[in-house]
Amino acid sequence: MFAIVEELLDVGAMLQDAQRPDCGAIITFVGTTRIDESDGAAVEYLEYEAYRPMADRKLEEIGAEIEGRWDVRHVSIVHRLGRVDPGEASVAIVVAAPRRGPAFEASRYAIERIKEVVPIWKREVWSDGYVWVGSQVGTRDQASGLS
Amino acid sequence: MIKVLLFGAAADRAGTRETELPVDEGVTLAEIWPLLAGRHPDLAPLRDTLAFAVNGEYAREDAGISPGDEVAVLPPVSGG
Repeated sequence: MFAIVEELLDVGAMLQDAQRPDCGAIITFVGTTRIDESDGAAVEYLEYEAYRPMADRKLEEIGAEIEGRWDVRHVSIVHRLGRVDPGEASVAIVVAAPRRGPAFEASRYAIERIKEVVPIWKREVWSDGYVWVGSQVGTRDQASGLS
Repeated sequence: MIKVLLFGAAADRAGTRETELPVDEGVTLAEIWPLLAGRHPDLAPLRDTLAFAVNGEYAREDAGISPGDEVAVLPPVSGG
């Protein structure tokens, strides 16, 4: 399953969907919102947006790339949009494979590819302004690199 | 006309998420940039960081554009 959703991610359900008798390993990766601090300010939450349906299609392409490279029997990736509060999951990846090696490698590949090719963007909302991650554009003093 | 969609920092700088530009058949992505940056000057400093998509797929800057196409202006992606 490949999905982009606005609600809380149900990692337990994704894990359950991945259980298969022909697999000896399930790897779950969950990306969560971390509170960074600098200059006396802190991140309060993240906000994600996507270019759809291109982003949905790119997630499916990553799944196809994985199935072409490793012996895996199940891949699911769900990414959240909108406001994601501290500690909540923004992305979850579940890979099931007969052997653990390919499952570990494929899950690592999935998150790295998401960060390279899927048109999704996040904004860090700090106590003193916001910053678009990757562009350093925003209202914080530290965001003025391109202005 | 083409529809231009802007995302993330590019939408922020442009002050809009969607606009339209008049284009002739066969112009390239690189050729429409001055039109867009002329209309939204605060986009100009982002130029070297941007990627583009045409009709939902990444496109090179020499890609040809036709009236009716959808062009997306994509800052560095930051999902995950």
